[in-house]
Amino acid sequence: MRPTGRRYAVAALSVLSALTVLPARLRAQSAPFLHVAALAIPTYTGVDPVPGGATLDELRVTQAMLMLHAGAFTNRLRLLGTFNAEGWTMPAGELGIGVWGEGFYDRRHPHTYVTELMLTGDQPVGGDVRLSLSAGKGFAPYGSDDPMNRPTVIFPVNHHWGQIMERAVLIGGVTWKVLTLEAGIFNGDEPEYPSQWPNMDRFGDSWSARLTVRPMAGLEFQGSRAMVKSPENRAGAGLENDKWSVSGRADRPLWGGQGYLFGEWARNSEASGTFVFRSFLFEGAWSRGRHRPYYRYENTDRPEETRTADPFHAPRPVFENSIVGTTRWSINILGYGYQFGRADRFSVQPMLEVSNAFVETVNGGIFNPQVFYGGQVFWSLTAAVRIGWNMSGHRMGRYGVLADPPATQPAMDHHHMQ
Amino acid sequence: MQARPAAERKRIGALGLAALLALAGCQSSPTDQGPAPVPSRPFTVLGGGNNVPARYSSDLWVQGGYAYTGTWNWIERTAGVASRAALNVFQLSAGGAPVLVDSLIMPNITTVSDVEVSPDGKWLVFSAEGNTEDGLYVYDLANPAHPVFRARYLVDTGLHTASLATLGGVLYAFAAKNPSAPALMVFDLSQLDSGTILLTTILPVAPNYGLHDTFIRDGIAFLFAWNSGALIYDVGGGSLGGSPASPQLVGSVVTAGGEVHNGWWYHAPDGSKRYLFIGQEGPGSVGSSSSGDIHVVDVSNLSAPIEVASYHQAGAGTHNFWVDESRQILYAAYYNGGVVALDISGTLSGDLASREIARIQPGGPGNTYMWGVHLYSGSLYALDMLSGLWQLGVPK
Repeated sequence: MRPTGRRYAVAALSVLSALTVLPARLRAQSAPFLHVAALAIPTYTGVDPVPGGATLDELRVTQAMLMLHAGAFTNRLRLLGTFNAEGWTMPAGELGIGVWGEGFYDRRHPHTYVTELMLTGDQPVGGDVRLSLSAGKGFAPYGSDDPMNRPTVIFPVNHHWGQIMERAVLIGGVTWKVLTLEAGIFNGDEPEYPSQWPNMDRFGDSWSARLTVRPMAGLEFQGSRAMVKSPENRAGAGLENDKWSVSGRADRPLWGGQGYLFGEWARNSEASGTFVFRSFLFEGAWSRGRHRPYYRYENTDRPEETRTADPFHAPRPVFENSIVGTTRWSINILGYGYQFGRADRFSVQPMLEVSNAFVETVNGGIFNPQVFYGGQVFWSLTAAVRIGWNMSGHRMGRYGVLADPPATQPAMDHHHMQ
Repeated sequence: MQARPAAERKRIGALGLAALLALAGCQSSPTDQGPAPVPSRPFTVLGGGNNVPARYSSDLWVQGGYAYTGTWNWIERTAGVASRAALNVFQLSAGGAPVLVDSLIMPNITTVSDVEVSPDGKWLVFSAEGNTEDGLYVYDLANPAHPVFRARYLVDTGLHTASLATLGGVLYAFAAKNPSAPALMVFDLSQLDSGTILLTTILPVAPNYGLHDTFIRDGIAFLFAWNSGALIYDVGGGSLGGSPASPQLVGSVVTAGGEVHNGWWYHAPDGSKRYLFIGQEGPGSVGSSSSGDIHVVDVSNLSAPIEVASYHQAGAGTHNFWVDESRQILYAAYYNGGVVALDISGTLSGDLASREIARIQPGGPGNTYMWGVHLYSGSLYALDMLSGLWQLGVPK
């Protein structure tokens, strides 16, 4: 008999409880902690062209989030929560070149109000081996860091190829020296609106696994595989997605400052190869003092769907398996930020980004960017202010054994979200 | 703005990334289309073609010397016409060739999704979706060349299809309501003279992409409901006491692969009503690729239907059907595969590849994406999303 979502949850909570009971001697080694952080980015973005050929600019508050990170029992029991207010601050989405997903096109969708709420039991078992079990709502163990954790304000086109998030997940992990292996099961359906919860009737119909290698501090590589059933149709009638992701990330001292380099390749195959979309992305940043220039190049395929009367939206729920074409987006983004304050307390970072893109069609279909946008070359300008409080130390989507060791919690990932 | 030269784009893309670019993966690859057999009885092109250039065409109906066709505007073909569907009227010449005589523009309808004329030729009925004034529309055909609006019933999520049937002397429309709450909607059209459309009943269906099409005959309604399969209802012709107001489920079948989209209950010349032909609509890229087979279901026992045969065309998928029952030939629109004719005489079982009589891509490769076909006065009218309305000579 196939376990239901409720049975999985009960089983996971039982194991989590067991992990916190043993061994008792560890409990006295550190006190429980609670870390709260907040972020908001008032953002102006202008894009030329948008659907219809016109120029459009908007002012939105993006990435408005409150984060909570708590630990107890020598950090072996942890709770991680991310509460996202984008459903209120940008219900119509965020303007951007090529961004898409969850029924939005040329706009980035707002995330669900509860983006992460994960409970983790983490247990050292000796011999450099740690085990963990995480359960709740959050990221599946697949792919790379969420774009919210990365330098640019504007999301990449490949968000839905590079991450699987906002699912009811159960993740088991084991780490040994530099190697970390995670595997998880979750519901395939992605949310359709900010207040929607995962469809628990579908919990367990999708899976993913990720192998991460961390040969030294600040350097990591990962390879992931996922099979996601019907992400676009909540009832489960949609196509299965076969996903691969490989990425490398360096975050180390460089030229008297802090350097960040990231490269990613991802592939998403649907309906046993009927549709194949791939993405390549590279980005880098260098921080010294208050200055932080950054750059991103992306080359990503995007499925084109039919549009509603609002050309920024595709019909939801979907009721067909067909698309109207595939576009390939080549985008360069150059940006600069100047930080006031301290990332681990209160910081304000004005940022300026300029994007240039070229779109072309690949593999047939009727979608014609020349007709839809009036051209194939895009420009955008983004001016934003990243306002953070206690933001140093929160890297989304990393639970249990993949989370940085407890001793480094307060200082980890210092250059992100500053 | 002008597109950037290819060489410049390549230089930008190569900025310090050459090593990582090597990781870039495979491209999408449309499946190959198998070679067409050489037919002994081919289709011939008699007229029409390339006559709806501004929009993508959708469904058709031919009756009374006219062909009525809709357009599919979920994405623009010509800048500025999005969200404005058209209902095109073609007059058929003495030889049957279609000539455009009127085009009704619908400002708040994106797609005219299904078109049909009432048996008495009095009313033109179509379903509409994709915009703010979706639903069921009825036009008066007192002047068949220039239909006049008579009534509409708005449905906020739109209607994907609508099929007409006369039951107990009353004309009904059986319509497929789009998600998020997909359902069969049955409309009473008996009061159209006073401009009224009455809703008879709403029958919810599972949200497995919902309901796509219906086929009503002899008081039996076939609902084609994607992965829920074909649902067979007594709406007045069965033994369960069903009616249009109270459909009663008789049986159901999920054909191989699901994705059940459309169908035709075949009544053979010998009076047998054994086979239900079902169209599977698999994934595709509109305008260039498609997938999905024709499935044959034995419905000798409507309460226990069973799939007995199928037809597969490599590199293409089926859409709407028309059956010449007297000649026992099924014509299937096959999207990028064009039109296919199958011999459906006798007993059907297994792979029907050997039953193929002919196939044609009237617009040619790259300019054919066939939506539907309609046999009328000895010609097969084929409506292609890309190349418009064609008059085809059928295999002799």
